[in-house]
Amino acid sequence: MAKTTNNTTSLNTQQPDEQGFFGAYGGAFLPPQLVKIMQDITEAYNKIKVDPEFIAELDHLNQTYTGRPSPVYYAKRLSEAVGGAQIYFKREDLNHTGAHKINHCLGEALLAKKMGKKKVIAETGAGQHGVALATAAALLGLECDIYMGEIDVAKQNPNVRRMQVLGAKVIPVTRGTKTLKDAVDAAFEAYLADPVTTMYAIGSVVGPHPFPMMVRDFQSVVGREAREQFIAMTGKLPDHVMACVGGGSNAIGLFSGFLDDADVKIIGVEPGGRGPANGDNAATMTYGTPGKIHGFACYLLQDAAGEPLPVYSIASGLDYPGVGPQHCYLKDIKRVEYVVATDRDALTAFYNLSRLEGLIPALESAHAVGYAIRLAAKLPKDSTILVNLSGRGDKDMDYVLEHYPLEAYESQPMLVK
Amino acid sequence: MMRMPIRLMAHLVAGYPTDAIALAAAKGLVEGGVAYLEIQLPFSDPSADGKAIQSACAHTLARNYKLSDGFGFITRLHAAYPSVPLFIMTYGNLAFRLGIDEFVRRAQAAGASGLIIPDLPFDTDEGLAQACLRYGLTSVPVAAPSMTDTRLAQLKNTHPQFIYAALRAGITGKSTDIDQGTLDFLGRLGSSSKILGGFGIREGTQAQALAPHVHAVVAGSVFVELISSHAAAGADAVRLAVRRKVEELRAIT
Repeated sequence: MAKTTNNTTSLNTQQPDEQGFFGAYGGAFLPPQLVKIMQDITEAYNKIKVDPEFIAELDHLNQTYTGRPSPVYYAKRLSEAVGGAQIYFKREDLNHTGAHKINHCLGEALLAKKMGKKKVIAETGAGQHGVALATAAALLGLECDIYMGEIDVAKQNPNVRRMQVLGAKVIPVTRGTKTLKDAVDAAFEAYLADPVTTMYAIGSVVGPHPFPMMVRDFQSVVGREAREQFIAMTGKLPDHVMACVGGGSNAIGLFSGFLDDADVKIIGVEPGGRGPANGDNAATMTYGTPGKIHGFACYLLQDAAGEPLPVYSIASGLDYPGVGPQHCYLKDIKRVEYVVATDRDALTAFYNLSRLEGLIPALESAHAVGYAIRLAAKLPKDSTILVNLSGRGDKDMDYVLEHYPLEAYESQPMLVK
Repeated sequence: MMRMPIRLMAHLVAGYPTDAIALAAAKGLVEGGVAYLEIQLPFSDPSADGKAIQSACAHTLARNYKLSDGFGFITRLHAAYPSVPLFIMTYGNLAFRLGIDEFVRRAQAAGASGLIIPDLPFDTDEGLAQACLRYGLTSVPVAAPSMTDTRLAQLKNTHPQFIYAALRAGITGKSTDIDQGTLDFLGRLGSSSKILGGFGIREGTQAQALAPHVHAVVAGSVFVELISSHAAAGADAVRLAVRRKVEELRAIT
C-alpha cells in the first residue's frame, strides 16, 4: 500500500539544469541566431514564475475561467466490470475547451502579455492546442496565428472553424508531410521572422529549453490537485498513476505531483498504433533511440541515418516522432515505466468508458484508459489506479463511428484484454 | 588600382536536384573561382535554412538520398577539385545518430576539410570539436549578432580557425543590408579567426560591401535558386549560370 509522504522537495524544482537538460535530454540545440530568443523567454519566465501577481492572476483564471480544480472521480461501474483494482479519473476533460491544454495555454498567453507581445503563434496537430491557445488569446486580447498541416486542416474541420470563430488565423502548412512535424517547422519560422512582437506558445513539453520546463510547470497544477484530492477521498496515495504520452504534457502534469512518492508506481502509455513496425506507431520511448529534433534531445523514432521516421496513431494528438525530455529521463532512471496501448485498445476503451460511465474520452486519453483496464484486471481489489482523463472525445466521434462502427462494438462488447 | 577578386564560399546541397547537375554546378563554382565549397548533407528539418534550401533538401531526400550518397558525392567532388577546401554543412542529428566520431571520420575520408553544424552550439557540441581535432578537420562554430559578449568571448576562447558569421537574425535566403549593426558585430568577432560571413548574399554589390570586413563571403540560397531555375535546361546551363553568378559576386567582370 502506498503511503503519503511529504511533497515539498521535488524533482520538479531540481530540474532541468540551467541549460535545460534533464539528464542527457532536453537542452537547446539551436543555431546561434535562435539562442538569444530562447534565452529572453527563459529570463522572462524565470522572473514571472515567482511573481505573486502573475501567480495570483493565473490561479484566478484557472478557477473562474477554466473551472479548476477539476475533480477526481471514482469509476465504480468500470472498476466492477473489470473486477480488479479500483479505477479513478482526474477529470481534465471537464476543463473549458475540453482538455488539459488550456492549462499551459493560459500560462503561455499570460506570459506573452506580460512580455508586451502582441501575438501568440503555435502549431497544432488535431487542433486541440490550437483551440486552447485561440481561446486564451481571445480572453487576453492577443492576436493568434495557428499553423496546421494541410492534411490535418482537412481532417479536423470543426476545430479549424472553432479557431476561426475565436478570432485566430489558421495557416495551412503545405511543406513536407503536411502534418504536425511540418507545422512545428512553419510556426517556428514565422516566429523567427518576428520574435520581438510575437511569442511562440508550444503545444507540449517539447522543443528547446525553456518550453519543456515551462509547459511542465503550467501543467503541474493537475498533479498537485490530484494528489490532494485522492488523499482526501481515500485517505492514501494511489498505487498506480497513469496517463497517455504523445509529447507528454498531460502526463508530466499528473506525474509531477507523485514523482517524490516512491511507493506510487507511475506509468506512461504510448500510442502503439497498428503495431511495432516503423511507421505504424508513435511509441517514441518504446521503439525509438536517442536523437535530436526541433532543437532538443530526446528519444526519437528515426532511421539508421538519423532522419525522423513517419509516425502514426489513431489519436492525432499523440502523433509526434519525439517526446518530452523529462519523460526520457524518467524512463532511463526507471522512475516511470512506459508501455504501449494499440489503436484497438484505445477504441475498445473509448466504448467501454462511454457505456459503463457515460464518459466519452478523447482517443488520446483512451490509450491510458485501455492500459488501466488491462492492468486493473491483474491487480487485487484493494489496489487503486489514478488515470488522467486528459480530454473529452466529442472531437473523435465521427472518426470512431466511421472506422469502428457501433455495430462492431455491440456485436462483441468486450473489455480491453 | 588593382583590386583582388573577392574570396567566396559557395554553398550547394549534395545531390540536388541530381548528382550530375549538382556536380555541374560545382564545376561552375570552381571555374568562377570560389575559394571554398560548402556542401550541405540534406536533413528533413533544416532549422537554420530558408525556403530555397529547405525545398532542395526535401527534394533530395524524397529521391531516397542516403547519408552514404552524400559522402559519396563529396568524395567525387574532392577527387575532381582537390585544391578547393570543402566544408560539410549539416544538422546535429545526422552526426549524432552515426556517432560523432564515426561521422567526422567519414567526413575526413571523403576529403572534407571542415564541418559546419549550426545546431551543435560550441558549448554543447557533443564532442564535435574534439573529434575534428582527432581527424585533422576544422570545426566551424556559428556566431550571430544576438550573442552576448560573454558567450562570444567563450567562443573565441576555443580559438577556432574559422567562425561562420550568420549576419541576419533569422534564416537564410532573404537579403542582407550591410548596416552599422552588422559591422559592429563583425568588429566584435575580432581578427584571430578567419570570418566566413554570409546569409542572404545574392548580389555583387552586397558581396563588395561585405568583403573588406570578412575573410570570405558566403553565398548559398542564390546558387540553389539558380540551380532550380536552370536544371530543366540541362547541366551545362546550370554550370554557366552558376559561373556567371560567382563572377558577379567576386566582382570579376
